[in-house]
Amino acid sequence: MISKSLTALTLAALAPLASAQTVKMCVFDVIGANGDMYNMVKDFALEMKSHGVDFDLKPYTDEGVAVGDFNAGQCDAVAATDLRTRPFNRFTGSVSAVGALPTYDDLETLLATLAQPKATPLMKQDGYEVLGIVPIGAGYLFVNDRSMDTAGELAGKRMATLDYQKDAIHMVNFVKATVVPSDITNFAGKFNNGSVDTAYAPAFAYEALELYKGLGEKGGIVNYPLAQLTVQIIARDDVLDGETAQAARQVAWNMYPQAMNLISKQEEAIPDEKWIRIPEKDIQGYQEMFRQNRIEMRDGLNGAPDVYHPKMLSLLSKIRCASNPSASECTSENRE
Amino acid sequence: MMSVLVAHAGRLMAVRSKLVLLAAAALFAGCSANPIYKTTGAVLAGYSEGEATPYVLQMSDPEMACALGEGIDPLLYSFSRINDAPDTTGSLLMLLAANCMEYKAWEAELAYLRADYEGNVPVAKDARERSKRLYALTAERRLLAFRRAMAAYDFDPSKEPLECPFLFSEQDEITFLLGLLTGMQAVVNDANSGARAGIPRNIAPQAERAATCVDNEKVGGLPNAVRALVWLLLPDTRPELSPDPWRVLENSSATGVKAGIRASLAVEAVAAETFGRPDVLADVIRRFAEAESTIDVWDEYRLVDTIAGHVIRFSSDKYWTAEYGYRTPQTFFGKMSPERNTENVETMSLDDLL
Repeated sequence: MISKSLTALTLAALAPLASAQTVKMCVFDVIGANGDMYNMVKDFALEMKSHGVDFDLKPYTDEGVAVGDFNAGQCDAVAATDLRTRPFNRFTGSVSAVGALPTYDDLETLLATLAQPKATPLMKQDGYEVLGIVPIGAGYLFVNDRSMDTAGELAGKRMATLDYQKDAIHMVNFVKATVVPSDITNFAGKFNNGSVDTAYAPAFAYEALELYKGLGEKGGIVNYPLAQLTVQIIARDDVLDGETAQAARQVAWNMYPQAMNLISKQEEAIPDEKWIRIPEKDIQGYQEMFRQNRIEMRDGLNGAPDVYHPKMLSLLSKIRCASNPSASECTSENRE
Repeated sequence: MMSVLVAHAGRLMAVRSKLVLLAAAALFAGCSANPIYKTTGAVLAGYSEGEATPYVLQMSDPEMACALGEGIDPLLYSFSRINDAPDTTGSLLMLLAANCMEYKAWEAELAYLRADYEGNVPVAKDARERSKRLYALTAERRLLAFRRAMAAYDFDPSKEPLECPFLFSEQDEITFLLGLLTGMQAVVNDANSGARAGIPRNIAPQAERAATCVDNEKVGGLPNAVRALVWLLLPDTRPELSPDPWRVLENSSATGVKAGIRASLAVEAVAAETFGRPDVLADVIRRFAEAESTIDVWDEYRLVDTIAGHVIRFSSDKYWTAEYGYRTPQTFFGKMSPERNTENVETMSLDDLL
């Protein structure tokens, strides 16, 4: 008697014993799974395994799509720039407030502060929790003419501006430059082919996106951090218990030296003569200009979008005044 | 009489020692002065390019080829101290030497994935660190191979508008193109090393432009595959009206199979991994495995096809190790799961025997 096998499929191997909790994470990196950020998130995931969490990573080269998939429930966590994660946590989303962290030392103080267990309540908002913050470098202003070395010179110039970054749009309008709506995939092309005069980006873009082409012979990069960009890992509140979420933030903070090493290399790859150094007295003026704008964007004054969290601005101000106590803002009446 | 003899012998000794000194001086005064070295260098470089390179390119043993690269490169390239640098052969030798390092990095990466699968974090961390170190060395060697390939054809990849190099022979075209591909691989390796090698990231857009200098059909669709990969990485570089990069990659792979050189499939697999397309990865591995029985490999460049096969097998092994804890069993190459389809297998009833 001949009979057909009842089992259509024979398993040649058994699935692994599930010992860790699996968390799907959508990870943004402009160059996908072979990018620097994705690789850093892999290190984060490996470290988290010893805390009983098994992160299942999926690369995205478009962070809008990564966040969209997170919102649609396709992943339990997302790693994306704070420009995109701001809606999930306004407090940590304000780390990149314009001109608020003028040095990497200040950034280090901030991230060390936020990694403390005491900061936990600030890491939660509307059902979401921040699981870690890793820097990706300061955003700098790239100009195609070095004579644009004061804010006044920017008036009338065309600036590639991320169309979803409300604070940047406000600042571009404030200096009376023209907003040319762009996204991460096309701002470099616009700068390089001359359809805009200026763009802002972290040092990473200089080589990878060939921004030196847009700089040409006459251009340069203003050596003043406009904002500190970070990648933030956001998860739904119920994904990890409180203790594990805090462990995740600690793991991310431990990756700070690795991230800074990468950033230093990217900044060092820019030839010295391409940097435009602005005089100290001008810097003080800009710091005050940025401060007034931050206050406006905290309170939604004078047509500014209310995007910044007052507590974060206050913390950033404390950090600046601790490292530079003689700054005029530290004795100002309207301190952040 | 004795004193005359002694004096004579003394003079002879003095002359001999002067001669020895002269010879030593000639030897150490600067190798460039030694005509034998110059000639040997020229002969070696000529022989390598004319005979050894074609011989190696038709080999089917990438491990032996990589050992050759590691062993011969320092010797051959040392002649760049005397003669013009033998960049054409030097780029291929360094490319092969980089493969050696990459094979070790692959093993370390698989060890990391295996330990990660088992949940053994310290072992996984150790293996990942090892793989990062090895990828950094691979990236450094590949950058050197890329630079030599560009120098060999007096090509400045950063120059705009693009000025294509003179590529006289098929071997020139392949060497130049492999140089570009190697540059791209250096960028990927560097990222996987935690950016330790500091490879300039602008190699990718430069390779995209330079790939247009090589006839696509002639080299099994590889130039277009390189370009499409860069379009995916840097959408800005994609020309208007160009087809979807994934379609270009698939088409290049088909061209590669037809031409008997499947390097394009390796590029497609890397793209699938990079952009998180497991569907494409499964498909390209399946297509590669299916072609095994039908392909007529381009004999002169068999090594390139075999190396591409190693890349595909590693992609498959990575997937298998991450999912199941072990590398792809031979009979499952081309598949992404250990499930066997036994639907049509007949079995006999055992009722009468029990």
